[in-house]
Amino acid sequence: SGGGSVRTAAGAMEAAELRVGFVGAGRMAGGLARGLLRAGKVPASSILASAPSDKNLDAWRESGCRTTHCNLEVLQESTLVFLATKPHVLPGVLQEIRPAVGPHHIIVSLVAGVTLQTLQRLLPAWTKVLRLMPNLPCVVQAGAMVFARGSGASDEEAALLKSLLSSCGLCEEVPESYINIHTGLSGSGVAYVYLFAEALAEGAVKMGMPGGLASRIAAQTLLGAAKMMLETGEHPAKLRGDVCTPGGTTIHALHQLEKGALRATVMNAVEAATKRACDMAED
Amino acid sequence: LQKIGVNFTVSNKDTVKSSDVLFLAVKPPIIPFILDEVGPDIEARHIVVSCAAGVTISSIEKKLSTFCPTPKVIRCMTNTPVIVREGATVYATGTHADVEDGKLLEQLMASVGFCTEVEEDLIDAVTGLSGSGPAYAFTALDALADGGVKMGLPRRLAVRLGAQALLGAAKMLLESEQHPGQLKDNVCSPGGATIHALHFLESGGFRSLLINAVEASCIRTRELQHLADQETISPAAIKKTLLDKVKLESPSLSVASASKVSLFTNKSPSSKKN
Repeated sequence: SGGGSVRTAAGAMEAAELRVGFVGAGRMAGGLARGLLRAGKVPASSILASAPSDKNLDAWRESGCRTTHCNLEVLQESTLVFLATKPHVLPGVLQEIRPAVGPHHIIVSLVAGVTLQTLQRLLPAWTKVLRLMPNLPCVVQAGAMVFARGSGASDEEAALLKSLLSSCGLCEEVPESYINIHTGLSGSGVAYVYLFAEALAEGAVKMGMPGGLASRIAAQTLLGAAKMMLETGEHPAKLRGDVCTPGGTTIHALHQLEKGALRATVMNAVEAATKRACDMAED
Repeated sequence: LQKIGVNFTVSNKDTVKSSDVLFLAVKPPIIPFILDEVGPDIEARHIVVSCAAGVTISSIEKKLSTFCPTPKVIRCMTNTPVIVREGATVYATGTHADVEDGKLLEQLMASVGFCTEVEEDLIDAVTGLSGSGPAYAFTALDALADGGVKMGLPRRLAVRLGAQALLGAAKMLLESEQHPGQLKDNVCSPGGATIHALHFLESGGFRSLLINAVEASCIRTRELQHLADQETISPAAIKKTLLDKVKLESPSLSVASASKVSLFTNKSPSSKKN
């Protein structure tokens, strides 16, 4: 890892020695934890998750993680603490755990719409707070995550988080103002992709291909195209042109997409989700 | 033309006799008549260049072969900005045109813009794109100027700026290795004015409209070509005075239209002839 060392109460320097806690054990928290486990970054025994009921916690225990109903225990046992409650529950939870928060803690909020300003107001002033927006494919190590740091968090915390989460996919530090945009682009964005994949497959079924096969091929097509974008670094417009032989099948199909104003519709979707994220944050 | 020192004559035959490279620049329906008229005067040295949309090399060669065994024919598609030496020209060489003949034409047309050789079957697509293209650009420029005027610019300035913007963008693209998509991205700062504007263009299906336009122009060119191949020409397409002239110089010529009024009768126009 880069630069200096991360000081924790236990003197842990490596992510592997980190004790990681989750306050809230819902889908997003579970996805992140599963991703970390699969990547081998953190042993299950080092993960402690709390939730009000056992409903969500069963799955965690099955993976070998420790669980509790006591949020304070998570703070006492962990150095890196992910906050993953529902937004309306968070203020109460912060009030509850505040006494146990110390200078060794790194608090990372996954809670949609709750700003760093709010978090810092409800926690001790010097607390190292960061805000993370992941997406679901973290589960399969192909996530897209952005995080922003609060005033108490330094380069070391940012580097630790980035290094830890890069095992789950792409992880970039951004200004806080990008977080809602990330929601519109990639948080919700995976749903747009599922919709597109479904439509691709449906087109194939209409043309006579069995649905299961069509679905798998649709997914692989998206995966392959995305991989080419990431590995070649070429502009998608150029990659698109590379596939279009003059007068061929692809350009005919693309014309249909342009007629349907697909581009504008997608832009509308990203805009709508981003705006909704902003609106919800103000609630 | 005479003002800039070009020799002028009313005789097609004279033009042919005193030329080596002969540009046929009449409207497509007239081409067959011109070929019949000047055919006898075409010699081995002549390079016949047709700029007529939709008129195939083989149709020209067929017409001329009755007069000349190996006519050199080149088919060309250019566009109006040749006037300002920024034309876009393509050409396809006929059966008996040599490589040097093509290169000669290319040299001539390259002096007024971009010129390259293509396979003949692409010429309709070129018509749709760069043949008609200036009209799309003029339409866009008119609308852009309207936008400028709406937002407070005087018309003349709006037109000047719009034209310069397109000129500059085109020049950047021609001089750049980058994809136009990348060049577009370079102009769009995050959350800025340009990306907001582009969203409007996309919502309106701007891209598909342009694709549709190129396609429509290309398809129409092919339709016109079919009509020409069948030599189905309505009298309205042929100006009476021109045909009278042709008739005077080539008494053997007859119109290939079956059901129409014959325009070559000495009787009054109201009497019909089969």
